[in-house]
Amino acid sequence: MFEKSWPLGMLAAGLAATATTTQAHEIVGNRFFPATLAIDDPGVNDELAFPTIAVSKTGDDPSFKQVDVSGEFSKRITEDFGISVGPTWSRLYAPGGPTMNGAQGFQNLETTFKYRLFKNAEHELIVSAGLSIEWGGSCAQDVGAERFTVYTPTLYFGKGLGDLPPSLNWARPFAITGQVGYAIPGVAQTTTASIDPDTGEQDIDMEFHPRVLNWGGTIQYSMPYLKSAVVDLGLPDFVNRLIPIVEAAMQTPVSNTATSGTVTTGTINPGIIYVGNTYQIAVEAMIPVNRQSGTSVGIIGQLHFFLDDIFPNSIGRPIFANNINTGRPTYGR
Amino acid sequence: MKKITYALTITLFICTAPTLVLAHAMLDHASPRVGSTVNSAPKEIVLWFTQKLEPAFSTIEVRNEQGAAVQAGKATVIGDRTQLRVALEALPPGIYKVIWQVLSVDTHRTRGDFTFRVGP
Repeated sequence: MFEKSWPLGMLAAGLAATATTTQAHEIVGNRFFPATLAIDDPGVNDELAFPTIAVSKTGDDPSFKQVDVSGEFSKRITEDFGISVGPTWSRLYAPGGPTMNGAQGFQNLETTFKYRLFKNAEHELIVSAGLSIEWGGSCAQDVGAERFTVYTPTLYFGKGLGDLPPSLNWARPFAITGQVGYAIPGVAQTTTASIDPDTGEQDIDMEFHPRVLNWGGTIQYSMPYLKSAVVDLGLPDFVNRLIPIVEAAMQTPVSNTATSGTVTTGTINPGIIYVGNTYQIAVEAMIPVNRQSGTSVGIIGQLHFFLDDIFPNSIGRPIFANNINTGRPTYGR
Repeated sequence: MKKITYALTITLFICTAPTLVLAHAMLDHASPRVGSTVNSAPKEIVLWFTQKLEPAFSTIEVRNEQGAAVQAGKATVIGDRTQLRVALEALPPGIYKVIWQVLSVDTHRTRGDFTFRVGP
């Protein structure tokens, strides 16, 4: 039974690895959009997310514990265009893995190209488009890394509610972000031939690789925004740096679904983000939306560095930047 | 063990970096306070930022409910260059909007706004 569900488990592991890939932060007018954990946010920036650690129990039958440790480096090429690269190391505990004794190794390397299409400070609105490529065969198949490449064009958006009327001041620190992507496998199906040890006959196993809609969103309440743009309540500095957040990350197979089925999987992640001047720390629970998405509540945490703030005159700025002449030398600051 | 020590050292260094490096200049607090009501009209607005500012590229505009500017003169960077100050005309009771734009010394631009009320 487990062997039959293993390809589905590998798909789930791959999707989970994709879902935990991260992220950029962004400032739009009054609004600071933090880097989010379950979905990518619309920002394009120079940053390093390391480590991101996720612990969950998979939706396989039987279920097993999975630990993912990932990182991501994002670099702006121009002010609006950036590239990010992110490896993920996974450990599957027994009865996971092809031999049911567990497995460990790197997931396929993922590269994302993202372009900021639109940014409006007054309305705290940002829209970006990107293409993520999961390079097939670049890592360990035992942990679900596929042999084929997957291309995912994605649209991202973020909207702060700071332009609400003064009568709704309490709601102005709210913001929403979202993404919609369409994952297209490089090959439509994989055929595996094997010899049945009992009968000696040849078995042909055909697996169809579905095209998957990756969609999700966040709703967040920014205490930094409350303090600096709505009302300074004189709260402790620690509280003024928190952003409570709920994320949702879903995957829906939409075509070529003969062997995968069309069940939507994903998690709802309530959590909190602490924002420092040059870094943020986030922790979220991962609540599976159904049995196929997991068998218990998982947890994910991340340490994230704003390289544009830490190294503003070197690796933290776009390779092709529009320089601002301040009339002062750039050394010795 | 050595690798773990190195990793922890680097992490600690970067996490304590706010005191060592530059960053976006974000509004830390203001006088009058963001969103506050003051009984008597303030004579000036002072904004405290999280980073040092470039004076030539840092401004404050204060508008009344009709949208008219009520600041008196240009904003000036004061103190340890993290404060921005602008004098005000005599303000009658009403709601005022403070619009700031700054450039931090590492050339990051930020902007924002908030309101305060004068009156009972």
